[in-house]
Amino acid sequence: MLVVEGIKKHFAGIAALDGASIEVRAGESVGLVGPNGSGKSTALNCCSGFERPDAGRVLLLGKDVTGKEPWDVAKLGLVRTFQHANLPTKMSVMDLMLAGGHLVRGETIRHSLVSWKRVREEEADAVDKAWSILERIKLDKLAGHPGGKLSGGQQKLLSLGMALMGDPKILMLDEPTAGVNPSLRVELAEHLRKLQTEGVTLLTVEHDMRFISDVCDRVYVLDRGAIIASCAPAELSDHPEVLEAYLGRSGSRAVVESADRRTLS
Amino acid sequence: MVEYLLGVGILAAVYAINALSLNLQVGVTGLLNFGQVAFVGIGAYSVAILDSHDVPWIVGFLVGAVLAGAAGALVGRLGRTLASDYWAIATLALAELVRLVALNQDGFTGGAQGLSAVSGIWTGMSTTAREAATFATIVVVLGIAYLVARRVRNGQYGRVLVLIRENPDLAASLRHNVVSAKVRVMALSAVMASVCGGFYAMYISFIGPGQLLPFATFLIFTMVVVGGLGNTTGAVVGAVLITVLYDGTRFVRDWIDVSADQAAGIRILVIGVVLLGFLLVRTEGLVPEKVKAAHARR
Ligand SMILES: Nc1ncnc2c1ncn2[C@@H]1O[C@H](COP(=O)(O)OP(=O)(O)O)[C@@H](O)[C@H]1O
Ligand SMILES: [Mg+2]
Repeated sequence: MLVVEGIKKHFAGIAALDGASIEVRAGESVGLVGPNGSGKSTALNCCSGFERPDAGRVLLLGKDVTGKEPWDVAKLGLVRTFQHANLPTKMSVMDLMLAGGHLVRGETIRHSLVSWKRVREEEADAVDKAWSILERIKLDKLAGHPGGKLSGGQQKLLSLGMALMGDPKILMLDEPTAGVNPSLRVELAEHLRKLQTEGVTLLTVEHDMRFISDVCDRVYVLDRGAIIASCAPAELSDHPEVLEAYLGRSGSRAVVESADRRTLS
Repeated sequence: MVEYLLGVGILAAVYAINALSLNLQVGVTGLLNFGQVAFVGIGAYSVAILDSHDVPWIVGFLVGAVLAGAAGALVGRLGRTLASDYWAIATLALAELVRLVALNQDGFTGGAQGLSAVSGIWTGMSTTAREAATFATIVVVLGIAYLVARRVRNGQYGRVLVLIRENPDLAASLRHNVVSAKVRVMALSAVMASVCGGFYAMYISFIGPGQLLPFATFLIFTMVVVGGLGNTTGAVVGAVLITVLYDGTRFVRDWIDVSADQAAGIRILVIGVVLLGFLLVRTEGLVPEKVKAAHARR
């Protein structure tokens, strides 16, 4: 499904990615973990067309998409969410859901002006779909609210809903549980597992190890731009280099430890 | 009196078409086009130049629309390489370029003198009846422009444009071609602005480089801000109010003893104060952009 071969990305001298390789097979749910600044978001950006890697290749469904525009990558079925949802306050939840859909006719000026009936039909179908997804993620009661005024957790959930409007083949989620309260995390994990059974391939960047073990079949560990381990979530604690990457460095030690000791040990 | 009112009405309607165009760019899409007057100028000069060669006015409008549309698409395309703040400066430079071409291509554009005696529409009629017919015609055109702007704003395309304004990366991640969306909205807006320019030249039967100064864009910005950035109806409301204000202040010399130059300065100052006041105190304008209610379930 997704093959990342030795991608490198430098920002003003620092190597955010230093030859990372990742493979995600169709139907798999893969995690990507690593300390802050290890290059996880940059890796997602390189896969989804938001950054052009300095070296290496990204193959999506066998097609080379390295350096392609984000919308071209998305059209092939790869949809990603962002670490910070940043949804607009000027758009309602329903509007945002529809913006996530692919209304081919409504998106052209010509069709918006001349084929009113077909544009309306297309939109009515998208509205139906939006309602059913909103019910599923329990945001249907908030459909008329401004998206940007939802809580952080609800915005994360809504971002997922918007992504689902386009029937992605592979979903890449950047820290989907950051700022999400614990009960919603459980719910989110269930949604992701359900999506996987429906055939959606998943790549999840996460700090919450429990969430990773709930959702992922396999996990990659990224440290300073390189993959240092790939294993089942339960085996993470068997890898001394992972523990070192997470716990051995001063500075983030206390934070990471309190967050992850529980699940790592 | 009737003629004066018709005159103001015609100007307001012409400006309203321009405000609808600028609102699509600035209000809906968040594209700070400081060179709007370039598109107006292209439309106005196309109509005026072809008219001076006795070409039917409708041809002038078509040529103007095609040229302005192409210019709009090109300007929109620049957004791919330029960050939004640099893009805004580039639009200003582009408008000055159009003005300098108008000023210096004497053979075509009449140079600093401009082109006068542009024949209007309904030339066969007597004065008042002609003003009324012109007003009616332009109001019909404004009505069409309003419907187009509303259709675009309220459909999927408008939704995507607003998302591009608010969070372009999110739009791109949801498979919306951000570059193409901007190019197309710039082309459409430029066509609308060129129509405004055509009617403007025909109504005052003149177009010159003096009309292409940055202030002309600034005036339209004031209309859009006062009406409410992002609201189609607001653009029309703002255009009418600011036209009445700007035209009304023509009589400033009847009230206070100032020179003609000072009077012109005062008129500009008034518009500047209104714009600043709204930006500071009522940013959302008189008719704020609305968050749309959710669509009912079937
Ligand atoms: N656009 C950018 N410009 C400069 N440096 C960046 C940029 N994006 C990321 N970086 C740097 O690259 C490194 C990896 O960042 P990131 O991929 O966001 O890490 P993670 O998501 O794992 O926390 C960090 O040192 C970060 O500061
Ligand atoms: Mg990150």
